[in-house]
Amino acid sequence: MFRLAIERALNHMINVNSINIDRLDNSLVSLYVDDIDLKLFFLCLNSRIFVIENSEQKEANVDITLNKKAFLSLFKGASFEDLIESEDIEINGSIKTAQQLADLFALSSIDIEELISQYTGDVIAHQIGRTIDRIKDSSTQDKDSLIESLKNEFTTLLIAPSRSKFFKKRAS
Amino acid sequence: MDKTTHFGFKQVDVEKKQGLVKGVFDSVAGKYDLMNDVMSMGTHRLWKNYTISSSNVSEGDHVLDIAGGTGDLAIKFRKKVGDSGKVILSDINGSMLNEGRKNLLNHGIIDVDFVQANAESLPFEDNTFDCVSIAFGLRNVTNKDVALQQMYRVLKKGGTLLVLEFSKVENEMLKKIYDLYSFNVIPKFGEFFANDEDSYQYLAESIRKHPDQETLKSMALDAGFGFCEYHNLTGGIVALHKAIKT
Ligand SMILES: C[S@@+](CC[C@H](N)C(=O)[O-])C[C@H]1O[C@@H](n2cnc3c(N)ncnc32)[C@H](O)[C@@H]1O
Repeated sequence: MFRLAIERALNHMINVNSINIDRLDNSLVSLYVDDIDLKLFFLCLNSRIFVIENSEQKEANVDITLNKKAFLSLFKGASFEDLIESEDIEINGSIKTAQQLADLFALSSIDIEELISQYTGDVIAHQIGRTIDRIKDSSTQDKDSLIESLKNEFTTLLIAPSRSKFFKKRAS
Repeated sequence: MDKTTHFGFKQVDVEKKQGLVKGVFDSVAGKYDLMNDVMSMGTHRLWKNYTISSSNVSEGDHVLDIAGGTGDLAIKFRKKVGDSGKVILSDINGSMLNEGRKNLLNHGIIDVDFVQANAESLPFEDNTFDCVSIAFGLRNVTNKDVALQQMYRVLKKGGTLLVLEFSKVENEMLKKIYDLYSFNVIPKFGEFFANDEDSYQYLAESIRKHPDQETLKSMALDAGFGFCEYHNLTGGIVALHKAIKT
């Protein structure tokens, strides 16, 4: 669920903003958040990103190891140099590729803290309830279809609240 | 030399399987959607929604749904790819395709193409699709390896294969309940709702003969895919394999 939510949010952002990610084509980035034991691989192909669990088949172009604090700050646009300086992050391989991926994180407006809290054990039902409530309260024209689409695509529910802001914008 | 394969729990000549499977789906086509809802208690819709969510398909993409039957996935994919994309629903069985055609029309969809084709010899150019899906179809295919190679061939680099299929339940307790349900209840439902116990007996048996999660993953990698991962749904009653052409 966690990987799927990040994958969907990144690709959604790439599509909506027509971001060209050709320079990342064919690259595989391995990312390990050591204090929560979270390993993710980001594969860029066919103008989209796949977030996968393991990569026995292909060697990563760059390995990033970082702590949770640094991982969160990447999504808030923290500069890579600062993180390297503060020794919160270790990079082996192409720093350029790592930076390009981090730029996408920063643009994505994923509520990563929310996702991490899911990953580390918060109750999903609680989140689903909160997200639906939040949208119910919003005064959009197609509120009902919005709620329907959220119900249908449950992974969307994990990407809150920035994602629901986007929906509000589109619906009005 | 005689070559045999399984058809449910029976061994049959390899050349005969396709015809026997055709007989099953000719027979169930008219009641297929009703029976799907009855047998899975509606859960197949959640499995299919999860498949679409995992597809990484976006506007403008080209999608092929193999063994697409009555078109549940094709309808959902059509929404995702929008007017600039393309969805093709293919199936080996004309009766199932006819049901699919009606179903899509009922949903107001007129721009999905229908192609009658065997998954083992897909009539499409190499590197055509961003996504190929097959839901509850692979277990009916005689030469699964050949079909997986075909799916690989027609996918673009970076294209995604999604195989949604019944799989192996790991929890012993759930397995017992599930076996009881599959072999005692499902064929009876088949008789009651569709007047066709044998076809539903086959469907239950064919699930048990299908490769388990790890085996199917290896088969996808052997077919050429660079990555393959699977996610168990409902305790492994169903698994979604997602493979990427690299
Ligand atoms: C259980 S139905 C699944 C239909 C639909 N995908 C769904 O999920 O509801 C299996 C389908 O596989 C089709 N099928 C069986 N063997 C096939 C083959 N070799 N190539 C293509 N389709 C095949 C059948 O005709 C049938 O429509």
